[in-house]
Amino acid sequence: MGNLQAGIDYKLHPDVVPHPNQKSKWDPNYGFESPRKEKVMIATEEEMHSAKIALEDRDFCAHHLIDYKKCYHDKFPFVNRCHHEKHVYLNCRYAEFVDTIKDYERERRLMERQKRIAASS
Amino acid sequence: MALLKPSLLFSLARRSIASSQTLSHWNKDWKPGAYPKTEEERIAAAKKYNLLPQEYKPIPNDAAYPAGDYPDLKPYSADGRDPHYPWDYPEYRRNFNEAVPEEFNLYGFDRINVEEKLRYPMWKMLLGFVCIAGGIVVLCDLSEDTFFMPAMPRHMPAPGVTYYHYPSSSSDQH
Repeated sequence: MGNLQAGIDYKLHPDVVPHPNQKSKWDPNYGFESPRKEKVMIATEEEMHSAKIALEDRDFCAHHLIDYKKCYHDKFPFVNRCHHEKHVYLNCRYAEFVDTIKDYERERRLMERQKRIAASS
Repeated sequence: MALLKPSLLFSLARRSIASSQTLSHWNKDWKPGAYPKTEEERIAAAKKYNLLPQEYKPIPNDAAYPAGDYPDLKPYSADGRDPHYPWDYPEYRRNFNEAVPEEFNLYGFDRINVEEKLRYPMWKMLLGFVCIAGGIVVLCDLSEDTFFMPAMPRHMPAPGVTYYHYPSSSSDQH
């Protein structure tokens, strides 16, 4: 997954490679043609509390996890009948992960662009 | 019937069990005597412990645990004694009737060796430890931020924080 390459790039070129924890220096809508759509949290705090969702799982996919756990509880022990719910949940988590990679790549490209503009001016 | 008197039977049995005539075969018989005050008492105590009078020195009477006339011997360990000498008791490396230090039970093969000689001096061992442990610390310090996913932190909903979808991203369809 390029873990080591990212680390080497960060060590060699810290001016154009972002740290994985750094805050974005640009407006979230900067560079987009139309304003981006905000992410909406569907599951409420009470639902997640009553479904005993772990704190690290209370992300934007929590409502899919609640569905999956509910199905698991209803169909037990024939839990293979919940394959659809599980698939939906894992796909949601994957899309969320891809979004974090896009955040990193956007930050890196904006830093490179900033450096390029500063060099040409 | 006088032969069957209990005291006589007891002394007969004791004589048959004990091979020597001194009849000192019970713990109260091995108890040290009183602290020697006169020169005669010193010589008598030294003879009792099979020591020469000039090398006999009793444990001080004002010590934390006074021990009467017991000699104050320098502790030695069985590990530190000559393994090739024909000891009377090889398992203790001790000779018959040899005076032993007061805490003899602490210095056997199964206990500490007070005369142990280290293979390497203590400063060398400490230096080796500091070099290896410090080297690991330095390596960990140098390798910080050299191995990570090229990804920003997860989007976790929190009050006052807004996250956005990317255009035509699959996260928009969930």
